[in-house]
Amino acid sequence: MEKDIAISVDNLSKTFTIPHEKISTLRGVFVSVFSEKSYERFKALDSVTFKVKKGEFFGIIGRNGSGKSTLLKILAGIYTADGGKVAINGRVSPFLELGIGFNPELSGRDNIYLNAIVLGLTKKQVDKKFDDIVAFSELGRFIDQKVKNYSSGMSVRLAFSVAIHANRDILLMDEVLAVGDTNFQSKCFEEFDKYRKQEKTVILVTHDISIVKRYCDRAMLLRNGKIEIIGDPDKTVDQYTRQNIADEKETT
Amino acid sequence: MGNSRRHENYWELVLSLAKTDFKLRYHGSALGYVWAILKPLLMFLVLNFVFSSIFNPRNGGVQHYSLQLLTSIMLFNFFSEGTMAGLNSLIAKSTLVTKIYVPRWTIIAAATINSLFIFLMNLIVIAFFFVWYQFWPGIPQILTFLFYIALTYILILSFSFIAAPLFVKFRDLSQIWEVITTVLFYASPIVYPLALLPIQYHQLILANPIAFIIHFTKMALTENHYAPLWENGLFVSAIIILFLISLLVYRKTEAKIAENI
Repeated sequence: MEKDIAISVDNLSKTFTIPHEKISTLRGVFVSVFSEKSYERFKALDSVTFKVKKGEFFGIIGRNGSGKSTLLKILAGIYTADGGKVAINGRVSPFLELGIGFNPELSGRDNIYLNAIVLGLTKKQVDKKFDDIVAFSELGRFIDQKVKNYSSGMSVRLAFSVAIHANRDILLMDEVLAVGDTNFQSKCFEEFDKYRKQEKTVILVTHDISIVKRYCDRAMLLRNGKIEIIGDPDKTVDQYTRQNIADEKETT
Repeated sequence: MGNSRRHENYWELVLSLAKTDFKLRYHGSALGYVWAILKPLLMFLVLNFVFSSIFNPRNGGVQHYSLQLLTSIMLFNFFSEGTMAGLNSLIAKSTLVTKIYVPRWTIIAAATINSLFIFLMNLIVIAFFFVWYQFWPGIPQILTFLFYIALTYILILSFSFIAAPLFVKFRDLSQIWEVITTVLFYASPIVYPLALLPIQYHQLILANPIAFIIHFTKMALTENHYAPLWENGLFVSAIIILFLISLLVYRKTEAKIAENI
């Protein structure tokens, strides 16, 4: 893999088999031993090939069910692919949902440690970064309160602050910023602007086309598990809008 | 090339997950601790009463019945809670499986280590009763006990590596396992001494690993009587083989955990 490439995805496919009747117990296995099993195959990703350079802010858009989240989960290592290759150059900090590993019964402080360690930091590293994390999250005096008393905006700020300070080469994000207020959002995007110089990569899955237009260096449009268009964000967004209008006409 | 899936801090990850569980269980208070030991303690007191007043194994020559009973119950409690926690671990922490990548074995290991913490706390209760009954085991006796504790832990871990990914798929496993642990409780020489059974059943009873551990812990601790070396050797090899098998099974099932959960 070339040195300036952060992520290289080659001919990636992922199929889910969805049984019509899901058997989730051993009893079910015994009972249905002789009955016929039917299932549906759903091709979430179909021969997807693309590369993302280091330092790039890369947007992924597409309608629901187009394969965006599956792709992100494969990049994060959560799902394994059926076919094709994924090569990742650097360490990944996935941020797919608000407060992963957050435990509402624990204080903000404990959660910072837990979450950062889950993201791969050592306790010593968290000690060093702790004050910065709190400062960035703007939580200050609430840090020793239990997270269950936080508002959703507060917990996303906390989680996001941890994710940013985990200081990974590649940040994967799925629509999570939508919860924060606009001030916090723009603060995050300012942070991402610094990433370019540090050669850090951001991959953002979103429905917010204005964010794609404003911040992304490149964007990709997925449709039914295939890449529809990849490249200039404006063109990609235009195609997405046209597609949406066309789809709407079809259904009406 | 760097690898995205590498975590350098496995040990810290496992420990901090386990500590979180531990903290939540005790709510960070001494009273929480009392609560946690209440179950095995009450069980001991009830069984001790029943088997001291109604059926008394001491009549059969078991001198330190109460201490044996207590140790056995604590060990069995460690086994049953540990395996249950291991079985449940992935489901209980499903967001760590579906929303982020951490090596899944760390989640399973953390749950079992939490049970180990709790058991180590329970050792204080055991020590208290040994002092209470003024019984002082010697160093080899205590070392044997520690040795069997370690084996129990490996047994729990092996079970969990096999069962936790299966439980993701078959959600009635926990109910099945609950029934099995109840059977195992009575199939192990906990409330009764092994000597009470006809000798031809001894091999059969001791084929159950937790029964073997409990029987020989009791024997070592209170009667200074040990399993023959070859039996211990065979037992340790069996546990190690089981552990290796569990690792193989885990490696096979790991990839599909996130999709099935």
